[in-house]
Amino acid sequence: MPDKSSTSTADGDRPDESTPLQFDDEWEARASERLSETEFDTELGIELAKDAQRVVAGELSERAFHEKHHDAVRDEFGEDARLLDAVLTEREESDEGEGVASRVSSLFEDESSRREFVKKGGAAGMGLSMLLGSPDAGSASTAPAEDADAEDTRLGMVINLNNCDGCLECVTACKGLHGTSRGAHWIYVMAYTDPDLEHENFFVRTCMHCANAPCEKVCPVGARHTREKDGLVLTDYDICIGCRYCMVSCPYGANYFQWGDPDSPRQNDHFTHDERDVWVDGPPPNGAMGKCTFEPAWQDGQAGEKLVGTTMCEMACQRDAIHFGDLNDPESDPNQHLEEYRANHPNDRSEFEDRNPDTVSTFRAMEERGTEPGVIFIGNEPSVHAEQVEGPVTYEDKGLIDDRKSEILDDGPAGDDDGGELA
Amino acid sequence: MSTGTSPEAILRPIHTYSRRYVATVAIVLALIGFWLFLYAQQLQHGLIVTNLGDWGSSAGVPWGLYIGAFIWWVGIAHGGIILSAAVRLLGLDTYQPVARMAELLTIAALTCAGLFILIHVGRPDRLVTSVVPAWPTRVQWSPLMWDVTVITAYFVLTATYLLLTVRYDIHRLREQLPDAFEPVYKLLMVDYSETEDAVVERMVWWLAFAIIIMAPLLLHGGVIPWLFALLPSMAGWEGGVQGPSFLSIALTSAVSGIIVIAAVFRSAYGWEELIPEAVFRGLAKWLGFFSLMFLWLQLQQVITGVFAAPTTLQHATEVKLATPTYWVAIGLVVVALLYIFATVLRPSLFDIRVMAVLSIGVLLGTLIEKTLFVVEGLQHAHFQLYEGVPGPYIPSIVELSAIGATVAIVAMFFLSVSKVIPVVELHAVEDEEEVN
Repeated sequence: MPDKSSTSTADGDRPDESTPLQFDDEWEARASERLSETEFDTELGIELAKDAQRVVAGELSERAFHEKHHDAVRDEFGEDARLLDAVLTEREESDEGEGVASRVSSLFEDESSRREFVKKGGAAGMGLSMLLGSPDAGSASTAPAEDADAEDTRLGMVINLNNCDGCLECVTACKGLHGTSRGAHWIYVMAYTDPDLEHENFFVRTCMHCANAPCEKVCPVGARHTREKDGLVLTDYDICIGCRYCMVSCPYGANYFQWGDPDSPRQNDHFTHDERDVWVDGPPPNGAMGKCTFEPAWQDGQAGEKLVGTTMCEMACQRDAIHFGDLNDPESDPNQHLEEYRANHPNDRSEFEDRNPDTVSTFRAMEERGTEPGVIFIGNEPSVHAEQVEGPVTYEDKGLIDDRKSEILDDGPAGDDDGGELA
Repeated sequence: MSTGTSPEAILRPIHTYSRRYVATVAIVLALIGFWLFLYAQQLQHGLIVTNLGDWGSSAGVPWGLYIGAFIWWVGIAHGGIILSAAVRLLGLDTYQPVARMAELLTIAALTCAGLFILIHVGRPDRLVTSVVPAWPTRVQWSPLMWDVTVITAYFVLTATYLLLTVRYDIHRLREQLPDAFEPVYKLLMVDYSETEDAVVERMVWWLAFAIIIMAPLLLHGGVIPWLFALLPSMAGWEGGVQGPSFLSIALTSAVSGIIVIAAVFRSAYGWEELIPEAVFRGLAKWLGFFSLMFLWLQLQQVITGVFAAPTTLQHATEVKLATPTYWVAIGLVVVALLYIFATVLRPSLFDIRVMAVLSIGVLLGTLIEKTLFVVEGLQHAHFQLYEGVPGPYIPSIVELSAIGATVAIVAMFFLSVSKVIPVVELHAVEDEEEVN
């Protein structure tokens, strides 16, 4: 498997400042195609985008840019004119030479409201988003983030399978935090043997929080969605109709449906609802779909700054196998771990200098399915001949249910008293 | 021709009332009641009362008989209206006596398909509140949303089609229709005038034209197979053959459905002359042709699956071939095909009752095949590490009772409608008279 774990952040090509900007037919066709997906004026969007780039290139002043498009933008979107006035005013007041992008951004309280505006702006969003460096933000809100820009936050994991000893601490901790029903393992550790490998190996299956998530694509109601702020793939429990199409389309088997009433009562809203006040975490209500979330409320700082940038499974892991963070940030924990691990496993290049610099094998699971998974594994990828076996610590040892179907679901709602799926 | 083809004959179901009719209604209502009792359990406890489960670590099958039956009913709905549309579009007058039955079958079968969506989802209470607001943004992405959209459009087309054609009959037969249903007739006949007949005829032609394009290409050769064919994760589902394959199954099951319903009406109301044997012989030939297509497309899939397929597809195909129920399904279709072939060679072998029984067999075979397709497709995914996958799936009584109930709903629909409007068009008799 080719190593695709490089997380270098791509700098956008800056236009050559010595020559006027050129927009070729291909650029226009691409822009037109993207804008035609929105309900707004394609022509205006293209003009905005061109002029926005001219501003960046220094060919057009910001004032000229805003004055030129002020009326057209307001007519098209009915969007707050004060926004642009504010930019102009601030421009006059400011003697700093900072770019328009940062100041447009600063008008919003936070990233999410900026994105909200960009989304609403549609066509204008394309122009603005080019300035702001997120070309995907102008597309429809429900479109899978196929073109996730390197500069966007992309929360994900590097899971070092070589460090995993199959202790199931992560599984237990996850279950404890999220209160999922018995047998619903949002993180699931599989011990396996493989004819190609000598020892027992482990595979840790979380949700891959794919950038091109099939589950999101097929969801008929948009309940499964990517949080624009950080790329987390979440389920809006309030609108999920429970058709299970996401489960059917996910190649990894990461989804767990709520077949009966949840074992645990609903947790506090501070954990279950993220900063957008969308119910995305904790046990799903009866008839809705759940899966690994990477703790969105923690990432939003709702449980304090200490828990921002970590997940329960990462905290529970005693073997330093799970590393959570922004995959697009070279300084993040996952990228740092990968770098260090590589540095600690140098290849012997004394004889053959074209050899890889390190001996570390990495992979993204089933990448060939086009899902763009957000979890990078260090270790060997299980082959098609790999077979799951009982691990050193069994699910039973930890008081967990492995086969939810035969141990829980097949019993049906045998007795209502306990309120759970077994009950 | 004799009095068997007079307008009185087509009104016979409306004017007769037999003990057998009451007994049939009682059985049908019992089947529906039995299911309603079990479905109430599902509403109360959730889908845990089914034998479905999570795909993955718990080795369950999240889509099962409900989805298999959904596809089956949509398929039956299709062929019905395709046949009816072909009668109008191509002037296949032989089949005119069964055209309206085909249209009614379409309406009833589509209703059952919709019902299966309703009982399949975990949150039926949200179907309106979640689907309607999401429609504008999700219709471009989700195959399930395409599906709902096309089926709704198709239902509207069919209902319009039926309404337009039934007005002609009601106007002419009004005197002989029971007064008890006067409000229904009034509603159906709003603003009717004889001058509309010519216009309606043209409208119906265009509706038939739309249906004959839309039903095979967009619905059962399109959105329904796309629910599966577009998913790369499941080896047994993905691929371009699903469109033609689904369509062949739809047409096979639909013609079988029409044969069964027409045979029942013919037998119950002494319609030997109204629906002559030639209609059944013709339908049987169509069934033979569609069965052959069905089997041929199965062969295509099996050969590509076993010769030099990727391991997962090969595995999925081998499992399919090793499943006894798959061979039951194929066998039921093969038997019907052999019988039809034999009756073409020796016409004296043809018997409507035998044909009807074999048609029921074909209906059963197609239901089995569709359900196996859904379940086995899910059991053999590309990601093979889970020890428990493929896990077992045997539908629970709650799921099985829904099949019985939907068949009963279709029966109840015919039992009711046949008391209110003629299920054979007046045109069928009039044309006969003109010919004679």
